[in-house]
Amino acid sequence: MGFTTKQIHAGVTPDPLTGSILTPIYQTTTYVQDSVDEYLAKGFSYSRSGNPTVTALELKMTALEDAVDTVCFGTGMAAVQGVMLAFLNAGDHAIISDVAYGGTYRLCTKILARFGVEFTFVDGSNLDEVAAAVRDNTRLFLTETPANPTMKCTDIAGVSKIARKAGAVHAVDNTFLTPYYQRPLELDADMSIYSTTKYMDGHNATVGGAVVCANQEHADAVRFIQGSTGSIMSPQVAWLTLQGCKTMSLRLDAQSANAMAIAEHLEGHPKVEQVCYPGLKSFAQHELASTQATGFGAMLWFEVKGGLVAGKKLMDNIDVFSLAENLGSVESLITHPVTMTHAAVEEAERIRVGIIDGLVRVSVGLEDIEDLIDALDRALDQV
Amino acid sequence: MRSTGLSIRSEVVSNFNHFDTLSLHAGQTIDDEFGARATPIYQTSSYVFPDTDTASSIFNLERGGHAYSRITNPTVAVLEQRIAALEGGSAAVCTSSGMAATFCAITAILSQGDHIVASSQMYGGNISLMKNTLPRFGITATFVDPTDVEGFRAAIQDNTRLIYGELIGNPGLDILDLDAIAAIAAEKHLPFMVDATFNTPYLCKCFEHGVNITIHSVTKWMGGHGNAIGGVVVDGGNFDWGATDKYPTITEPYAPFSGLNIWEEFGPSAFATRIRAEAMRDIGPSMSPMNAFLLLQGLETLSLRMDKHLSNTKELLEFLGAHEQVSWVSHPDLPDHSSHKLARKYLPKGAGSIVSFGVKGGRDAGKAFIENVSLASHLANVGDAKTLIIHPATTTHSRIDAEALVAAGITEDMIRLSVGLEDVRDIKVDFENGFRAARKIAGA
Repeated sequence: MGFTTKQIHAGVTPDPLTGSILTPIYQTTTYVQDSVDEYLAKGFSYSRSGNPTVTALELKMTALEDAVDTVCFGTGMAAVQGVMLAFLNAGDHAIISDVAYGGTYRLCTKILARFGVEFTFVDGSNLDEVAAAVRDNTRLFLTETPANPTMKCTDIAGVSKIARKAGAVHAVDNTFLTPYYQRPLELDADMSIYSTTKYMDGHNATVGGAVVCANQEHADAVRFIQGSTGSIMSPQVAWLTLQGCKTMSLRLDAQSANAMAIAEHLEGHPKVEQVCYPGLKSFAQHELASTQATGFGAMLWFEVKGGLVAGKKLMDNIDVFSLAENLGSVESLITHPVTMTHAAVEEAERIRVGIIDGLVRVSVGLEDIEDLIDALDRALDQV
Repeated sequence: MRSTGLSIRSEVVSNFNHFDTLSLHAGQTIDDEFGARATPIYQTSSYVFPDTDTASSIFNLERGGHAYSRITNPTVAVLEQRIAALEGGSAAVCTSSGMAATFCAITAILSQGDHIVASSQMYGGNISLMKNTLPRFGITATFVDPTDVEGFRAAIQDNTRLIYGELIGNPGLDILDLDAIAAIAAEKHLPFMVDATFNTPYLCKCFEHGVNITIHSVTKWMGGHGNAIGGVVVDGGNFDWGATDKYPTITEPYAPFSGLNIWEEFGPSAFATRIRAEAMRDIGPSMSPMNAFLLLQGLETLSLRMDKHLSNTKELLEFLGAHEQVSWVSHPDLPDHSSHKLARKYLPKGAGSIVSFGVKGGRDAGKAFIENVSLASHLANVGDAKTLIIHPATTTHSRIDAEALVAAGITEDMIRLSVGLEDVRDIKVDFENGFRAARKIAGA
């Protein structure tokens, strides 16, 4: 079955009671059991441990990635947390992409570090550096590719090989490309992590997360953390995400085409210092981006000539694009990572990994390309 | 005779029939698939048919079942059955708003050339519907002072097909003498339809007083949280549509359903079925499943909320009655209200939580009061958990002329108060701030 058919049909069967073509929103805490002996015979007891609407989304995401099981979470960060708590104990060590979402960095350095977990942040684009970081107690590799916001790419199969040799699990945050463009499990990763808030929802309606697993044992470990820490997805969020998934490939194709057009336009703009988009020939890892994934996605960044001051001026003057923190939605969004998403990362570390002061991150939406380019041109004129 | 409208979940917990129990359980059957304790939200447009015979029989009204959410929806059906059970009616149809309920109920039985005898003290939207909109389609109305029972009899014409009123008049709060008007309606063989929004079935079960159909804006006390717009028409199942030839929409063959005779097939729920088969199908003011879910949750605490609304109202009546900046207070529970006796008879728990009062200093002082309270919200709703106030002359009743304004019992200094569930001590403090501002105006 093709991806587009699956994104519409997988996980959802007509409601047996009424024939309802969509999964009902089971906005309920608890499930009435037929008898003590038949406890859990229908699979549900309490909505922290499982909810039929959330299960439908988990089934759909499992099918989309030809995986074994999926565990949904209340947010993308809760999903990252679920993976870390499932595979890391005190005294264990994890290797993390040095360019990861700021929240992931915060979770490692400010929270899990308090519980005796050790982390090494490495340049995921350099496999030698990744291999050199391995220790006896390394249990988890977490990569993010393309990375937020630098767009730096990691060779998923390469890291998976190192992880396998080290006897550790490899989780890939695949939020930027989704299983439509990039399939980490087929590149030998153990699990994909998603902020479903982004392209799965796609409409800025929900916050949610998911861990898609290639192995049932891993999934059970993650689900145990989900239920024990209670970091669950709500049925309303699952239902809205189920609707969003149905148009995911259409949105990604259209948004990626917009992103390509914007990247090419900005690359020739006199007021722009540099543009970073994996689809551009000038992108340092264009070869890896072209072979590892089937699309380049709809995220890019550029630097306005004049650095931070010029970048701020651009964002204060732009219309159509919203100055907002999310990404992956049909609305085009523009952000300044240094002061917004990555404010938690220390300055020296930030500069070292390439999050420069003037970096303007763009999440390209579904608007008419003429309007997007016109808005950027008008804002650049103000700089 | 077919037993029902179109819902497939028709079990009411028949051994347990007290009000609070019904408000929690009526209409819901625990789903077989997962046993979900709360009613699932069927946010779906359509329903997959198991086979073509089933599809055809659902379409022909030969069996219950869901085809398309404009006509029926499983979540909305639970709300419909719950409200029907609370009212003691035979069936109910939920609509997208209270006004849609009124429109669907009237047009289900009245056609061009027909006439309504209606109370002059009603929600402005109801008056406007009967005075401005329905006449465009040849349906006219005569408005009668709700306290003049014989006036209803006198206004009945040969072409009258309906008597319509609100139990607690809006905003004058005069009480309709249900038994007396029902007797006239029965004598003339006319259905008696009552907008029971202000009382809810907890304060008065209208069908026990000869009313045949009730209408509610479920948005108000039934839902109670100001979070969803919705309406309902409840069929009392107690009107003999077949006794005359005045109601052909119910008793004559209905062409769109191959000449189905709704009265013969559906009997006590014929009126509700006509709304389902015609209005929901051809006009389409359907309630959304999400709203039905929110309103169902509101209904679960209806009696608790109403008791608190009433106790707060009682305290505020005393407070306002003793306040030097208040020129008058009107509520049917006050002994000096002209409807006090009727209120005691029909609304023994209390005559609702709407209070009218005048602020000394007239229009400007009233305005100053409204602008200087902060806990009470200034808005055009009633029956919220939160205290609400409004100036009817410039808002809810602004579209009716001066003469009708007087007939509806509205004065320029009137403030309409919908008493909420806050701690009444805080409401009093809030009002003191308003009165302080009003006193400056009045003294100036």
